[in-house]
Amino acid sequence: MSINFKQIEEKLKSEATKLLEEGKVGVVLAYGKGYDENHPLPFVARKASDVENIVFNEYCTANMARYIVRYPRGTKIAIAVKAADSRAVIQLIQEDKVKREDLVILGIPAYGMKNAKTGEVVDSKTTCGMYNPVIYDTLLGEEVHGQSVVSPYDVLAEYEAMDKEARWAFWKKELDKCIRCYACRKACPMCYCDPCFIDQNKPKWGEKSPESHGNLMYHLTRFHHLAGRCIDCGECSRACPVDIPLYLFHKKVAKDCEEMFGQAAGMSIEDKPALVNFRVEDSDKILE
Amino acid sequence: MDFEPKILGIACNWCTYTGADLAGTTRLQYPQNLRVVRVMCSSRINPSFIFRAFQLGADGVLVGGCHPGDCHYNTGNLYARRRLAVTRKILEFAGIEPGRFRVEWISASEGNKFAEVVTEFTEQVRNLGPQTKFKIEQLPTPEKI
Ligand code: FES
Repeated sequence: MSINFKQIEEKLKSEATKLLEEGKVGVVLAYGKGYDENHPLPFVARKASDVENIVFNEYCTANMARYIVRYPRGTKIAIAVKAADSRAVIQLIQEDKVKREDLVILGIPAYGMKNAKTGEVVDSKTTCGMYNPVIYDTLLGEEVHGQSVVSPYDVLAEYEAMDKEARWAFWKKELDKCIRCYACRKACPMCYCDPCFIDQNKPKWGEKSPESHGNLMYHLTRFHHLAGRCIDCGECSRACPVDIPLYLFHKKVAKDCEEMFGQAAGMSIEDKPALVNFRVEDSDKILE
Repeated sequence: MDFEPKILGIACNWCTYTGADLAGTTRLQYPQNLRVVRVMCSSRINPSFIFRAFQLGADGVLVGGCHPGDCHYNTGNLYARRRLAVTRKILEFAGIEPGRFRVEWISASEGNKFAEVVTEFTEQVRNLGPQTKFKIEQLPTPEKI
């Protein structure tokens, strides 16, 4: 069995047309034509005639939940989500960035998505490795079953086994590559602060030019800000022009949060984000 | 020459700072490597303070707060506990020795615990040696920070 992308595209188009014509939603967030097949772009359909530009193929990896926060509160939004994206939507609802009533969620079950830059299959190595959206109003296509389920945290073993010095050398090498284009921040559905801490001048949290310690400060703090919120879509690493494996660190933090607080990000609307919540029975063990 | 670590202490106003005061008034001896910054509650501590402290040359960071459940603002340190636990994991995965960062709950009446913790932590950091990984080689002048 494989995913029929054409069929999903057709369904997406017909759903979008219906929603826009009936006036149920103001915008539809989906994917549109890029300069070629392999580079579809995030696309916003505002009227029924825009719908013909919608595409969906295996290169549509972008996380459209990124664009929800750009619209004023109360805008009715329809959004096309894959598995990880739906978790981002849930996380945004948890954080009260958007109301569930204002959303029409078009779920897309998919696997075998490809990274346009490398052509590699996007799987549990760089993302959460889920196939079916966690939340949706309409499911476009059939739920995926019978695919092997691999823990998204398996890739970490190699890095956790490294000794401290080697790990520091690894991260130093990787983070020194950063050119501070902030593509990771722009692609991330959870990075919506305005202004971002690194853009502040008073206090100045870190150097703004691309050199080691500024990079270190920016990335470490970003990892921290996404603790318990990162839904592991891997979009930051795909957006990165210098290929820093940011997903590794995010996965590690997500794993620790899951172990310590017993809850994964973006799995249920009822949850509260782990770091704005506490349990009285949390133990001091987590600090050791 | 012997290595003298620089340690940043961030203490909550209601418990640990008062505890430190008590340690002082009861004339307990503890190493002078600690520079204490007072904050109103342990949940006031932005994790970036800790990263930044390491960058600006701290060899260790000690965070003190009220005992869980005793926070002056009721729940502040319960949030802080989760947050600082994550900070610790991040430092560890980045390659900083976890022994350089410690969170302790010290109440206002525990002057001797304060002195003990500081002595022990200073020893621990001394054994780990200077912290060079995060440290910015050329420190910006104070006005520029
Ligand atoms: S007041 Fe001491 S930890 Fe909150």
